[in-house]
Amino acid sequence: MAAKTQGPAVGYTTESTRTLLRVVILCFIAAAAISSRLFSVIRFESIIHEFDPWFNFRATKYLVANGFHKFWDWFDDRTWHPLGRVTGGTLYPGLMVTSGAIYHALRTLTIPVDIRNICVLLAPACSGLTAFATYLLTNEMTTSPSAGLLAAVFMGIAPGYISRSVAGSYDNEAIAIFLLVFTFYLWIKALKLGSMLWGALCALFYGYMVASWGGYAFITCLLPVHALVLICMGRYSTRLYVSYTTWYALGTLASMQIPFVGFLPIKTSEHMPALGIFGFIQLIGFIQYVRSAISGRQFQTFLVTILVATFGLGLLGLVALTSLGYVAPWSGRFYSLWDTGYAKIHIPIIASVSEHQPTAWPSFFFDLNFLIWLFPAGVYLCFQDLKDEHVFVVVYALFGSYFAGVMVRLMLTLTPVVCVAAAMAASQILDTYLSWKSATPPEEQEAPKKVKGGLRGSDKPNVGIYSNLTKVMVSGSMLVYLLMFVSHCTWVTSNAYSSPSVVLASRMPDGSQHIIDDYREAYQWLRQNTKEDAKIMSWWDYGYQIGGMADRPTLVDNNTWNNTHIATVGKAMSSREEVSYPIMRQHEVDYVLVVFGALLGYSGDDINKFLWMVRIAEGIWPDEVKERDFFTPQGEYRVDEGATETMKNSLMYKMSYYNYASLFPAGQAADRVRGVRIPDQGPVLNTLEEAFTSENWIIRIYKVKDLDNIGRDHANAAAFERGQKKKKPTKKRGARVLRVD
Amino acid sequence: MWSLLSVAAALFAAAASAVSTGGSRLLVVLDDVAEKDTYGQFLGDLAARGFDVSYETPRSEGLTLFHLGERKYDHLLFLPSKVKGLGPNLTPNRLVDFVNAQGNILVALSSTVPASTSLVSLLSELDVSLPIERTGTVVDHFNYDTVSAAESHDVLVLDAPSNIRPGLKSYFELPGGVLAFPHAVGHVLGSGPLLTPVVRAPATAYSYNPKEQSEILDADELFAAGQQLALVSVLQARNSARVTVLGSAEMLQDKWLDAKVTRVGGKNVKADNKEFARRVSGWTFQEIGVLRVNGVEHQLQESDELNPEIYRIKNDVSYSISLSEYSWDKWVPFTLPEDDVLQLEFSMLSPFHRLDLARTGTTDDAAVYGVSFTLPDQHGIFNFKVNYKRSFLTYVEEKNTVSVRHFAHDEWPRSFVISGAWPWISGIGATVSGFVGFCAIWMYSKPAGKKN
Repeated sequence: MAAKTQGPAVGYTTESTRTLLRVVILCFIAAAAISSRLFSVIRFESIIHEFDPWFNFRATKYLVANGFHKFWDWFDDRTWHPLGRVTGGTLYPGLMVTSGAIYHALRTLTIPVDIRNICVLLAPACSGLTAFATYLLTNEMTTSPSAGLLAAVFMGIAPGYISRSVAGSYDNEAIAIFLLVFTFYLWIKALKLGSMLWGALCALFYGYMVASWGGYAFITCLLPVHALVLICMGRYSTRLYVSYTTWYALGTLASMQIPFVGFLPIKTSEHMPALGIFGFIQLIGFIQYVRSAISGRQFQTFLVTILVATFGLGLLGLVALTSLGYVAPWSGRFYSLWDTGYAKIHIPIIASVSEHQPTAWPSFFFDLNFLIWLFPAGVYLCFQDLKDEHVFVVVYALFGSYFAGVMVRLMLTLTPVVCVAAAMAASQILDTYLSWKSATPPEEQEAPKKVKGGLRGSDKPNVGIYSNLTKVMVSGSMLVYLLMFVSHCTWVTSNAYSSPSVVLASRMPDGSQHIIDDYREAYQWLRQNTKEDAKIMSWWDYGYQIGGMADRPTLVDNNTWNNTHIATVGKAMSSREEVSYPIMRQHEVDYVLVVFGALLGYSGDDINKFLWMVRIAEGIWPDEVKERDFFTPQGEYRVDEGATETMKNSLMYKMSYYNYASLFPAGQAADRVRGVRIPDQGPVLNTLEEAFTSENWIIRIYKVKDLDNIGRDHANAAAFERGQKKKKPTKKRGARVLRVD
Repeated sequence: MWSLLSVAAALFAAAASAVSTGGSRLLVVLDDVAEKDTYGQFLGDLAARGFDVSYETPRSEGLTLFHLGERKYDHLLFLPSKVKGLGPNLTPNRLVDFVNAQGNILVALSSTVPASTSLVSLLSELDVSLPIERTGTVVDHFNYDTVSAAESHDVLVLDAPSNIRPGLKSYFELPGGVLAFPHAVGHVLGSGPLLTPVVRAPATAYSYNPKEQSEILDADELFAAGQQLALVSVLQARNSARVTVLGSAEMLQDKWLDAKVTRVGGKNVKADNKEFARRVSGWTFQEIGVLRVNGVEHQLQESDELNPEIYRIKNDVSYSISLSEYSWDKWVPFTLPEDDVLQLEFSMLSPFHRLDLARTGTTDDAAVYGVSFTLPDQHGIFNFKVNYKRSFLTYVEEKNTVSVRHFAHDEWPRSFVISGAWPWISGIGATVSGFVGFCAIWMYSKPAGKKN
């Protein structure tokens, strides 16, 4: 691939041949981008991955089956039992509508394709488009013809983007990254041309982006920041005015059409920068007009003070409105972007999600490989030639890096700018070193000094390359890096990002692949053996999968809109049976599902997540659930015989380890995740009965017993079933208990 | 005797169809099959009411309660038996299983025969305690039959129960009647809500073991006394299976069914044991006090669609439930006891509405109760729930789940209907007309000629 992209640089002469080559290369890039995402389909099968995609898939099926209007007003009574969810008004419909439109388009073309396959392959298809959009965006940044193609390749196969767009990863990001890049391209185009048409197009795609992903706020904040930086640099122009106001007015109107967004653009703090800059730019425009009419330096300074005063007043007004409650303050997820410790203390539900954790350093290299060190070079190149669009790259790079450092999943928003900047740097190197022409003497390089763009320090004299050996060595090592990048991307994609996580794969001793299919086994069991409306209680991670695969109502799911309801489930899981049972009765729970990895050494199980359940429950019931009680006095989180009484009596512990020891010879029961020995005497369950345990014990399903038919409590009834005699009731000590009727 | 049997046969023919709702297969477990003649009248009456009575002793080989997992009998009647345990086929677990499978049990005890351990265990699971050592007789030195128990005082003569508890049906109430309880075993009830005492010993009665405590009764060893001592109690399990504990089996015997008894200083009167036995057995074997829900209907008030699955918040809906009660041999409209109401809950987690249902119609065999109301302003998955659980009546728990959705996007009032929106609408109008006007002026005004 790297070799291919060097094609144009080698130098074909006619323009049409170049265009043809470019189209062909872009097609190849798109093909490479798509095919490298098909690992999961080849390795496993055409299946929806992970958690959120299962909801999107289910919503898409609903849309296809019931039509758009029903989807718009969809009240989902099979999630969040018994609250239900106003799903039509609380989702970003872009993804589903896109798939639905493709489905119906193919239908009208008499190509009957299963909706599942459309959903599975949507993300790879979009990645081809993203590569193309990156090509367009990069071409706006540089005149080098190879930079765009390099950027397209990088974007096509960078693991940072592949992680969210392999086949089957049917998530909002699948389509949103394409829209993000394309919106940026249109914004740059509109800004360069000062064109209302491009501004309107930008607004249109911004609207599409809003319809698709909550990350649209990134655009909503980045474009105003870009505009502000340009204004502060003294680069205000009518081009900026026209493009920004067009984008803001139309884009905001478009975003308000999405029910989930509604009036947020004028109510929440995330959207205030855009509104503020909109007002600010009007003011600037007015002042510019006045200045063109009346000249005078003193007047100008006077105006500047007025500007500052207005800005300050606006900010004060915003603060006042926020404190009075007219404008909603930043949401918790947003706070955690500034203070990484915030969520851990105040909103455990956000902190409990692994993709909301701060990024570890190695993952930058893992996801971006050599792009990560070309990236600063590319940003530096932007400084050399500091036009409006380069300012955008600089601003984007700055914010993108920060956010990617704070939250793992925001690596996704960083990847496009890394690809763009790295492509600029790489193409600069390649263009310089792959040129057959010898360098001209440095005296002749005295170019006319640019007044507007560029930093003063960057105007160095141009130095040429004289030795062919240098050329070969540098371009050769660059080639090696590119090849390494390709092989790294392929390796990462195939090994790290292509697992559906619904189906697990392991290696047998002889090297062959062994599929562990416990999840689907259990969900299929639920689908076939339980009533249509049997309510399943599980931790929220599995809610979407149960809804999608087992088609059964759940109490909580990955749309974590109701913290109290999740805390209720957390309380039921972390309390004694006597406490949990009334909660389960009240919520009409029929089955409880837990994930248990001890037999297989599957570390993502519920016991490892258990402390989050405890913490979230403690947030609502600090008197009834205490995290401290789950730790031994030495502060250890133990599950063996040294576990605390609270831990041993908690429903989660009992459900996990119920009958587990009976699998092993006496004294040898071991938990392979925690690496400890489990006591032979397992926990006793009275209010639940085991209904199903999957092949590798990963999923265990328990049925909630009904109240005892003849009025005993469950402990007594279970003891009677086991054949234990009731203690003699007549041997009473102390006062008689009298019946009062 | 013959005349009685022929009457019974005639009645049997008439009542062959009129049998209990729980089924007609009745198994009588007694010490010796020949012993059934002492209960001839009572058993004959049962047969006449349509029961298909079979007799077994606990020692019988072929005695099983279940065949291939299905109940073999619908009802069980335990008469006193001298066997200590009832054998492998009548273990307490089997008996609990029988109740869980909706079988009904009538346990008749006698102080002359120690209760079998199997029954004692069963009763203790039901939270009914019998005296220790399985024997104990109830005596009352003020309410005894002066004819038959002038010395031992162990034949109690009591007023038939009246007004057992307010708000209950009066199945066991025989106003003005007297009941004779010869050699009764008293029992003590736990505080479970499923248990209801029907006949309690008078305040002056107590229970003692005639073998060990004939001379002196230590207060610490007293089993129970007074009102705490129940003579007849009933339990209705959550699946509406019924278990009745009858303290005195002798009262079912022919000689006590119509016996004349005399109280201290009272007249010689005829005991109402026969009628009481009929009612106790009839209730236990599901001939009375059985409710049937014929149907539940809920709908939008202006709609014809019955029982839709989804409503919208603030809809006006009506709900009705049709109930019948089985009375010996036919279904009749269910009438609520005095001081009692049938209530409807509209609930999600907790009730949002709890409404009294009013009787809206009556047919030959059913009474319809209904109410109309407005749904709450809260979407979610709600239940129309009639949770009518009373002692003596089979439990009614009718849960109809419906979803209550939010307003659809086109169900809100349009903006021009809302007066508060008028300023904004006129603002839009002004902007549009201003823009159009400006454009018109701009386009049609003649450009000023280039002066310079």
